[in-house]
Amino acid sequence: MLKIKDLSKSINHKLIISKLNLQVARGQIAVLLGASGVGKSTLLRILNNLEKFDSGQIELDGKLLDLTQANKTHVTGLVFQHFNLFENLTVLQNITLALEQVLKQPKELVQNTAVDLLKRYELLDKANLMVSQLSGGQKQRLAIARTLAVKPTVVCLDEPTSALDPLLTSYVAQNIKELSEQGYIVLVATHDISLLEKLPCTINLMQQGQIIASVQAHDFFADQNSYPALANFIAGK
Amino acid sequence: MINFLTLQASFGSLLLGAAASLKIAILALIIGVTGGTLLALILLYGNRLVKIFGNIYITIVRGTPMLVQLITLYYVLPSFGIMISAVGAAILAIGLNSMAYISQIIQSGIQAVGRGQIEAAQTLGFTRMQAVRFIILPQAFRTVFPALGNECITLIKDSSLASVIGVAELTHQGSIIMSRTYDALTIYAGVALIYLIMTSVASLGLYFLERKLQYVKN
Repeated sequence: MLKIKDLSKSINHKLIISKLNLQVARGQIAVLLGASGVGKSTLLRILNNLEKFDSGQIELDGKLLDLTQANKTHVTGLVFQHFNLFENLTVLQNITLALEQVLKQPKELVQNTAVDLLKRYELLDKANLMVSQLSGGQKQRLAIARTLAVKPTVVCLDEPTSALDPLLTSYVAQNIKELSEQGYIVLVATHDISLLEKLPCTINLMQQGQIIASVQAHDFFADQNSYPALANFIAGK
Repeated sequence: MINFLTLQASFGSLLLGAAASLKIAILALIIGVTGGTLLALILLYGNRLVKIFGNIYITIVRGTPMLVQLITLYYVLPSFGIMISAVGAAILAIGLNSMAYISQIIQSGIQAVGRGQIEAAQTLGFTRMQAVRFIILPQAFRTVFPALGNECITLIKDSSLASVIGVAELTHQGSIIMSRTYDALTIYAGVALIYLIMTSVASLGLYFLERKLQYVKN
């Protein structure tokens, strides 16, 4: 269980996240929904130690999480909006480099992990291509595979559909669903409504750095009138 | 008029000189690229004190003529008890000079690597040095390859400065032959032609290497 308590963060004296509370259990998907600039990505960046937070605390399975160590211990992982795959490496090397250099795993284990992931994400035949030779969808699958390779507990996806063809949304939703089925704690920052419809998730509507509504996706889509704040956001009001 | 018989008779000596010029250029390039890379990393990631020293070094090297640097190095080092051959002084002076310029080139290459690449490395647990070694520098080198290529061509030409401290490189060989034959036009046309051939071949090689890197990228 990931518990975020009273988390606050300011950038240049502007409050980006304000006393935010959120709980996500293993195997669950929490979607952070909101307009640009409400702090969705900042929250994911904080969880991945790319930004420091000012106050509050983050717990994982009842233990206080030291985010300065989160990268080294691979508690959290982030699939970036623009993937940020290593452009100088092949598809295979994008997965193996951290296993070899950070985790210092033996070659055989590295190879097995990489082949398993490439198979799972249908990239095995692309193993020796450079990243720039992949399509957008393939790049995203590789970004997910690279994140999973180091076995994080919490997987964060920042705007997973924004850089892709809308036709791929179902496919992305399926990939995210599979992550939750494998027991990961999944956080998704998005403003793509079509993705929400396809995900068994909790929708957390963010406004001015806070979560102002939290509702199960299937409950919301069954009866939108009961959740006016969310319905208004989705209707663009 | 160019006297082809004179040129033919001098060709062997000029080629020996050309080989010496290439040797100076290549070894200076190795010093320049290695030292320039280290200097770039110091300037970007080092502490304040080393950054100050790095910047002073670059200011001195860029603000004084290479010829003066070469002569100073050749005549000053022995007064500190460091005996250095003329070839050694030439390689060192040209290499150290090139290092300052190459550090600026590599620095711009590193800065051109997307921030996202560094963040991705960070989230995967790479240390800064690992990120620099495996992700940032390889990408930076690819970006600045054309500029490094230019530096490589410049070094071939700059090696001619070694003639002033008596290194038997191409220009110096030309001067010796000229003082014997008094045929400045023929000899220096020959010398210039050999420089042109060396720089053209190097340009061509760099062009193909660059294309190869581009092909891998795209």
